[in-house]
Amino acid sequence: MENGTITYTQLLREDLGIFRVTPDGEFPDFKAGQFLTLGLPLDSKIVNRAYSISSSPENKKFFEFVIRWVRKPLPGRLTSLLFNAKEGDKISWAKPTGSLTINDTLPNGEKDTRRIVCIGGGTGLAPFVSFAQHLHDTNDKREIVILHGASYVDELSYKQLLTDLENESIDKGKDKWNFKYRAAISRPQEWTNRAWHGYKGRIEQFLRTSDNGKSALEELVGEKITKDNTIFYVCGWQGTIDGVMDYLKAKNFVTEKNKREDGSYEVKFESYG
Amino acid sequence: MAEEVITQPNYERLCSNILNSDKHIRFAGFVNDKSQILHSAQQKDLDSLLTDNEIGMSIHYTLERWRKAQNFTFRLGKERLTFTEYDNVTLVTIPFKGKLLLVSTEPRIHYDPIIEKVNSILTNWEK
Repeated sequence: MENGTITYTQLLREDLGIFRVTPDGEFPDFKAGQFLTLGLPLDSKIVNRAYSISSSPENKKFFEFVIRWVRKPLPGRLTSLLFNAKEGDKISWAKPTGSLTINDTLPNGEKDTRRIVCIGGGTGLAPFVSFAQHLHDTNDKREIVILHGASYVDELSYKQLLTDLENESIDKGKDKWNFKYRAAISRPQEWTNRAWHGYKGRIEQFLRTSDNGKSALEELVGEKITKDNTIFYVCGWQGTIDGVMDYLKAKNFVTEKNKREDGSYEVKFESYG
Repeated sequence: MAEEVITQPNYERLCSNILNSDKHIRFAGFVNDKSQILHSAQQKDLDSLLTDNEIGMSIHYTLERWRKAQNFTFRLGKERLTFTEYDNVTLVTIPFKGKLLLVSTEPRIHYDPIIEKVNSILTNWEK
């Protein structure tokens, strides 16, 4: 494990926060979508846990994370320590790893120009915030759609950043930066969400075909979604993954784990529950 | 082999029984964890102390408090009952089969007999 310092903490809710860790030494290379194992001392031992990185690989100042403090049935040990930590506290970290990374080439070696659709449930958004900033900073010309599902409006971490990225796309034109962001709130009837006028329901319902024969996603991008024009990246609870795959299997999409003989696939996912 | 019969509580009947169990009870209602009121009943001829929007806010605060209280379940056990006594009303919440029973009563009365009656109704909900 390497040494680092917690350089920024921001609570969005009592149980949702943004944390930054700055390595004491050399900043390692990593790929957008990877995770980092963090460690803090507890009872003379180091407690470790992996968290998806939400900052981009081009940012060499700090790793950023958006973390949910889950306390039921039991509070997570490392996450509890993190939510009690102060800016300036020391923290250890292991090198970034993980396979939920952006495909730049197809199995046949050609450039992958398919539309990128990222579906994140809760803090499953984190790798896609990294994706978005990385694709922006590297001047990528692919169309990118980020869909974020949450129960409550105050869980829409990175709404401002992602809205700014979409506004930049509108201002510059799709030929220069092609980015869309939509969020869905699954508990619209709750008082906290009373002013929400965006999409209501579970995030995977963006893929459900409505009465007009199109899904909300197809309405958004303006064409039929096929396995030849779109690759999906999904991160969240297993229920979110399963919900997405219920829609995509019907369209003959296959996951990386069940790729075809020629190596092709259209869905990469990572679940955390 | 006998078939298992799963019975759902009749919230309408429970609310009615609770409301009629004591004259000091103003209101009884059940909400689920999505803030949806499953059923509610209140004494006739009583003006509501809150507007509709304030009722939504009150339910939200109650559920938020209930959710947060559950963070201590692993140490303290399950929450059984809460009281909030205002000048003008007392609010009682009792978890019941994954839902929350909300009861409001007149303030500054003897609560024990009321709670006993309500708990008896809940315990015998299948009868």
